[in-house]
Amino acid sequence: MSLNQGVVGFACAYTPLPLIRAAGFAPYRILPNVDCPDQAGHLLHDNLCPHVKRVLDRAMSGMIPDLKGMVFMNSCDSMRRLYDAWKAVKVDMNTVLIDLPSVATDSSVGFFRDELERLSRTLDQWSGVAIDDAALAGSIGLYNRVSALLTSLREKAGRSELKGGSAALQEVYNRASLSTPEEAIQFLEATLMEDTDIMQGEPGVPVYLFGNVLPEPEAFTLFESCGARIISDDLCTGSRLFSAIVIGDGDMLLSLARGILARPSCARTFRAERPGSLGNDVAAAVKNAGARGVIGVTAKFCDPYIARLPGVRESLKRAGIPLLLLEGDCTLRSIGQHKTRIEAFVEMMR
Amino acid sequence: MMMQYFTDLEAGIQGAIRKGNSSPKKLYTLELARLGKRLYSGTDPIAWCGITAPFDLLNAMGVTSCFVEFIGAMLASTGVVGTFIEETDHTGYSSDACSYHRSVSGAAIKGVMPVPEFLIGTTNPCSGGLAVLENLARHFDRELFVLHVPQNDSAGNVRFLAGQMREMVAFASRITGRKLDDDLLRQTVENSNRACGIMKEIFELACHVPSPAASRDLSNFGIVMSLFLGSEQAIAIAEAYRDEFRKRIAAGNYGKSGGKFRLLWIQNRIQFRHGLEKMLEEEYGASIIIDELNDITWDPIDPENPFEGFARRSISIPFNGTIESRINHLKKLAREYRIDGAVNPCNWGCRQGTGARGLIENGLKEIGVPVLNLEVDCVDSRKFTEGQSYTRIEAFMEMLESREPLWQ
Repeated sequence: MSLNQGVVGFACAYTPLPLIRAAGFAPYRILPNVDCPDQAGHLLHDNLCPHVKRVLDRAMSGMIPDLKGMVFMNSCDSMRRLYDAWKAVKVDMNTVLIDLPSVATDSSVGFFRDELERLSRTLDQWSGVAIDDAALAGSIGLYNRVSALLTSLREKAGRSELKGGSAALQEVYNRASLSTPEEAIQFLEATLMEDTDIMQGEPGVPVYLFGNVLPEPEAFTLFESCGARIISDDLCTGSRLFSAIVIGDGDMLLSLARGILARPSCARTFRAERPGSLGNDVAAAVKNAGARGVIGVTAKFCDPYIARLPGVRESLKRAGIPLLLLEGDCTLRSIGQHKTRIEAFVEMMR
Repeated sequence: MMMQYFTDLEAGIQGAIRKGNSSPKKLYTLELARLGKRLYSGTDPIAWCGITAPFDLLNAMGVTSCFVEFIGAMLASTGVVGTFIEETDHTGYSSDACSYHRSVSGAAIKGVMPVPEFLIGTTNPCSGGLAVLENLARHFDRELFVLHVPQNDSAGNVRFLAGQMREMVAFASRITGRKLDDDLLRQTVENSNRACGIMKEIFELACHVPSPAASRDLSNFGIVMSLFLGSEQAIAIAEAYRDEFRKRIAAGNYGKSGGKFRLLWIQNRIQFRHGLEKMLEEEYGASIIIDELNDITWDPIDPENPFEGFARRSISIPFNGTIESRINHLKKLAREYRIDGAVNPCNWGCRQGTGARGLIENGLKEIGVPVLNLEVDCVDSRKFTEGQSYTRIEAFMEMLESREPLWQ
């Protein structure tokens, strides 16, 4: 695998990173946590997802690395509009929009596999080098190693043994999403080797965090300063991006397609045979993690979550699990405004 | 409540037609009332669907099918939508979501939506619409089938969607016990093709200068006609419009539609009663002669092998795919209809449509067509700020007045 083909950007947790890496590119997530002028409103309406607008702001301000191309996933209306606007802003940049099924039926997995093949061909064109099965298998193996190391780190953080707590874990997630898997493995192994940090004083109330975009480590510090201890998460800027992919015999792209669609899902992906199951899934995850309550963090104007949150609320209520919903613009300032609510929520669970 | 509404509507229109007061719009509204009655009859098997479901295919299976946004539009037009939206909001649904979907959810919670046999979700046009169908499936405890509509009509994509539609037929058959009859399907497809052929004629006639189409003549026409496709009634409605437009052109009788300015309406109309269209026609001589979805964007479907044709049709709907193809379609309409300006009602909560406001504006600007972006909620009349909208329209029309004509 050639390592110096350049950097390819992405913005969605469903992006097939192993494929990008197998083409010799370094995947780089355009996170919405860089301060730059609000300009996206020139092209996109005020009512559009702040995550998408902040990513576009970065492109419009030139606050992105030199990219060989950008891979977009058609995961929701806002992501599709991001692709449209990006093309208008970065006219000469390589871009591709990959379709993503909402349900994982056999035919949908097959369709997604074909979309991955289209992405593979596109990456071949960008790099001039064809992706072979050996390179893809190697790349999936590297990302599975990243996933395993992150699982170990999560467990360490869950035991309150990670220096810096959940904020440090989020920093690691962010760094991993900006790095090649080889680099990520190096620093994850080093982080795991660090001395454990035995917390002094009363442990925080164990809380499960779910939602979509929250890349700011300072937000996690804020949660902990309010008395919460984040023991597990289901965020697209957290655990969701690096789930392991099981490589079966035969078609590698089919394995990748199946693996990505089988990951813990964003609200936009669901099981048609179990409509509205997100709420029960969250409740089960909370119990499994041993959390006492849930903090839901969602970006404003996110239709997939807006529509499912009432169901999640209902399921958690039925399970007797308290829920605090925070809606914001993916920045620390919008979370900071909720400090009193977070404190009250944690106090209620003590 | 809704059954009574549709029954009264049907009786009223039938009475008017019996008295010799018929018109294409009355025939269209009559069919709409009959669809509403079937949906609320409690006897017909019904399916709640996404906008790009193959309604003629479901009709051929004896299933009365309808996109859920239809109910939102109906509640808005009858002026009662507020209470249903509030019902949804009380469950914790954000008021930043689309009001079509919030009103439909509220109708389901309040027991005003009939219980379907099953539901068909479509990924086109929007994430919000698919999410609402998932919620309704849970609410009604009915099975949901999802049609993933790919972004373009590559051979593989068409094959994939056609395959899903075949699976959908098996799904519907399993639930309803009704088989798809080959002869009936063939006849349905032939009827659809015939109606679409006549609709093409209608749209070509509407391009005439002056246009025979007045602002309200074809409002919601393309999107609602998809519900009637496959039936004889769809053909009759289309023929009535075509004949009326031919008559108007032959007689030089353009009425309100013979105005000075020809406007293109982007996305859907405002569904509650308002005075904007009247104001445009009466104060500025401006008529909405074309709506974005009033177009036949697909080829006739092969009656012997219809599934690939159904798939191409769903893929071709302009809301699908990237904004580039949608803008190209809008440019095509603007040129064909010799449009002076376009109105984009930026429905609050619509990510797929309103989200691209700036890109659409820039795209039409490339061919010299200015766009008026109206900040409205197309369903929730409580949010309608009539004065502000009037002011925006006044300014837009003054700008059009001061420009050289775009088309010579």
